[in-house]
Amino acid sequence: MSNNYFNTLPLREQLEQLGKCRFMSIDEFSDGVEALKGKKMVVIGCGAQGLAQGMNLRDSGCDVSYALREAAIAEKRQSWKNASENGFVVGTYEELIPTADVVLNLTPDKQHTSVVNAIMPLMKQGACLSYSHGFNIVEEGMKIREDLTVIMVAPKCPGSEVRNEYVRGFGVPTLIAVHEDNDPKGEGLALAKAYAAGTGGHKAGVLMSSFIAEVKSDLMGEQTILCGMLQTGSLLCFDKMVEEGIDPGYASKLIQYGWETITEALKYGGVTNMLDRLSNPAKIKAFDLSEELKQIMRPLYNKHQDDIIDGTFSRTMMEDWANDDKNLLGWRAETAETAFEKTPAGDVEISEQEYFDNGILMVAMVKAGVELAFETMTAAGIIADSAYYESLHETPLIANTIARKKLYEMNATISDTAEYGCYLYNHACLPLLADFMKDIKTDVIGKGLDLEDTGVDNARLIEVNTALRSHPVEAIGAVLRGHMADMKKIV
Amino acid sequence: MNIRLDNLTVNFDDRFQLDQINWQLDDTQHWVITGANGSGKSALAAVLAGAGDNLSGTIEGLPARVGLVSFEAQAELIERERKKDDADIMDVISEGTPVHEILSEGGRNPALVSQLVEMFKLESLLNRSFRKLSTGESRKVILIRALASEPELLVLDEPFDGLDAHTLEMLQQYLATLVETVPMVLVLNRFDEFPDFVTHIAYVDHGRLAYQIDRNDKRAYNELYQLLHLKTTDLEVPAADPETAIPRLDPAQPLVKLNSINITYDGHRIIDSLDWTIERNQHWQLSGPNGSGKTGLLSLITGDHPQCYVNDIFVFGFQRGKGESIWQIKQFIGYVSTALQWEYKVGTGLRNVIISGFYDSIGLYTKATDRQKKIADEWLALLGMSDRADTPFNKLSYGDQRLLLIARAMVKHPPLLILDEPCLGLDDMNRQLVLALIEKICAASETSVLYVNHHAEDKIKGIENYLKLEKREPAAS
Repeated sequence: MSNNYFNTLPLREQLEQLGKCRFMSIDEFSDGVEALKGKKMVVIGCGAQGLAQGMNLRDSGCDVSYALREAAIAEKRQSWKNASENGFVVGTYEELIPTADVVLNLTPDKQHTSVVNAIMPLMKQGACLSYSHGFNIVEEGMKIREDLTVIMVAPKCPGSEVRNEYVRGFGVPTLIAVHEDNDPKGEGLALAKAYAAGTGGHKAGVLMSSFIAEVKSDLMGEQTILCGMLQTGSLLCFDKMVEEGIDPGYASKLIQYGWETITEALKYGGVTNMLDRLSNPAKIKAFDLSEELKQIMRPLYNKHQDDIIDGTFSRTMMEDWANDDKNLLGWRAETAETAFEKTPAGDVEISEQEYFDNGILMVAMVKAGVELAFETMTAAGIIADSAYYESLHETPLIANTIARKKLYEMNATISDTAEYGCYLYNHACLPLLADFMKDIKTDVIGKGLDLEDTGVDNARLIEVNTALRSHPVEAIGAVLRGHMADMKKIV
Repeated sequence: MNIRLDNLTVNFDDRFQLDQINWQLDDTQHWVITGANGSGKSALAAVLAGAGDNLSGTIEGLPARVGLVSFEAQAELIERERKKDDADIMDVISEGTPVHEILSEGGRNPALVSQLVEMFKLESLLNRSFRKLSTGESRKVILIRALASEPELLVLDEPFDGLDAHTLEMLQQYLATLVETVPMVLVLNRFDEFPDFVTHIAYVDHGRLAYQIDRNDKRAYNELYQLLHLKTTDLEVPAADPETAIPRLDPAQPLVKLNSINITYDGHRIIDSLDWTIERNQHWQLSGPNGSGKTGLLSLITGDHPQCYVNDIFVFGFQRGKGESIWQIKQFIGYVSTALQWEYKVGTGLRNVIISGFYDSIGLYTKATDRQKKIADEWLALLGMSDRADTPFNKLSYGDQRLLLIARAMVKHPPLLILDEPCLGLDDMNRQLVLALIEKICAASETSVLYVNHHAEDKIKGIENYLKLEKREPAAS
């Protein structure tokens, strides 16, 4: 079994690595793909992410080919089709890896150990190995040959968007890192920057982070607020509405599209703006509910973060990997059987504002989840910038997946690590909120407040507004959204 | 009064012909006839005053008294006066007919004549010979004659031309007082001169009555405004931006050279061993049925097709697949297609959409320079959209979006402009708009145009090279 790399480091270094995250200026990318010119890039894995990155890099003038397992080529599997129909040279590991100056490992996390073990002996002296996720290095403690440079370039979007944004002349926000134990020639950063530029990421904003910060914050975000909270919230809100006599079709639609609608407001103006979309009495109600939720769920968020930091989470998940994904697949099947999943969205018109007005509890859940994830991450030594991206920033992406695919497909779409964590969270959170849900009525989920008079107490409103606006996730959010706006919404 | 023209074809001394006009006017309507120079708008107006020889079709309901003001009517009167001058043969100095006589001809209402003389401030000229009046003065006389004839229909061909601001305002106000009693047909070239009382617009193009529009139909009204603007504006296609100039190409090399090109999907070959060279300053038309590979072929040139890396393609000085980036290729190409329009789903303002053409991006991700903004504004002026510079692109009509994307494609003056079915999905008026813009571009720049279309009638002047693709049926398996 593997050795957790993070746990081998002294606390001082752990903290230093967790605290790495810097928004880079576009001026730092003025060399473009120069550092990769004349170098041979070989991609391993040709799923959506692998294909998108390879196409972008090639269109930026890089020399890209694909190495696949012999079986994938012989059986003309989808990965082989993806690469060869798009005009790429495709070959086996043995054929292509020895020629590569940069190897891009874009296989799923679960395969990293076997893939890296297979290619490492084939790699040429002094070449570069690149990851899009640091799990293999940080959690599995994979040791990479000392002469090899190890970097990470992680576009923070699904593969289809990585490609589409590039074609538009833009890119997607991207995280880069250099594994300091493997930077023998000191060229890791230059390669990572050129790679990010080749995928167009530099136009949308690049974060300079570390393998450790990326893994520990990414795992935390995805299993709590991003996937876990939205899954748990969906199930609880749906069952409650049906129990209270709301039409199941309406309830299903309110949830399926509601997360996307309310987190769109979150994306533009943070938690503050999301709550500002509510009437004053509804805002105060959502605030109170979220305070209650935060109190109930805080121990759970702490446990998730603790398990991630000390490696308990990755160890149990890898045990399940070794056990043919028994837990994962069982939980996935259970998700398919939930009432929410089985009730299609009704053919009813719901206006944009109605999603807020009738989804006060959902707003409260998003607020509680975002703030708790952010608070827990920063308390564990993760810098606010990383914590923001891995909580608030990515929530709308998952909400969008639920809008398109509901829960089962959402889980099948996200990474295995995210899905496993999501189920862990969901199983712990459902019973945790059982009592809380008993007091919930349709005024906060399904029908909206039924008030003749929307007046509120001045002092209370000021108190709520101040609390919303002074939360630390709002401060860093304003700064980072500002950077992003400079780059993106010149439009 | 109800005038009705059915399939009317009228000849004017073999100089001009109006073809198959179908038109109805009743006495509650006030029309403007408009169109480009030489389109036949004056001829159509003159038909209402009985001019021309009817070759076929019918015209019914013309009133007996039509008050006509036009350059032709003015010229006719001047000519008549000139003929009266017998000085050359009689050896007497002819004074010609004084203005007051011209005005009282035909038993016009003397009180009304005096009132109008006062309004047009012609009192001091009443005894002057008509022949000795300036053009503007004689125009006023003609106007008074027409207005004082107590007409059942007023036909005013460019009545505001050559009038000073004061007179113009007076005349417009006076006409407004007549709307309840006299139906009017005005020939006007500028939308900003259309009086408020006008209820309908007739657009004449090449001797045909192309469009009849109810003024309350805002959309059609705006489209017509743009069409007239594009057909009549003196504005030129704006120049390129010297600061972001496209690198110079070797004039000896072709723009595009495709060698034995293949495109294959799922084992089926869509394009088979095709050679194609586009030299500088050549215009091409590419045609072929759906599925014949037109768009695939184009995207090999633009670099959007992944199989451009497995074909022998030379474009703008680059042999593809040798480490160039697609942005190096795209800078030489302006591109417009329906697919691009579908992709271009942004809430960006119109000015930014045009500027995005400098960067070949969908949306704008770079701060624009002042010069780029100025060029974009010049394009908006050319398109007649100056007042909409900050309107979100996705709020535009489909046809306007297309016009704007053509401007976006041309803003950098690319060596190659690819128009992939630029009229697809457009109604006739928008089609006219697009073609008018393309013709303006072709006439004014050194860009080679590569035009892809289905509609044989959408011809563009100056295209002399043709490539026709055939659909390849899948080989039997």
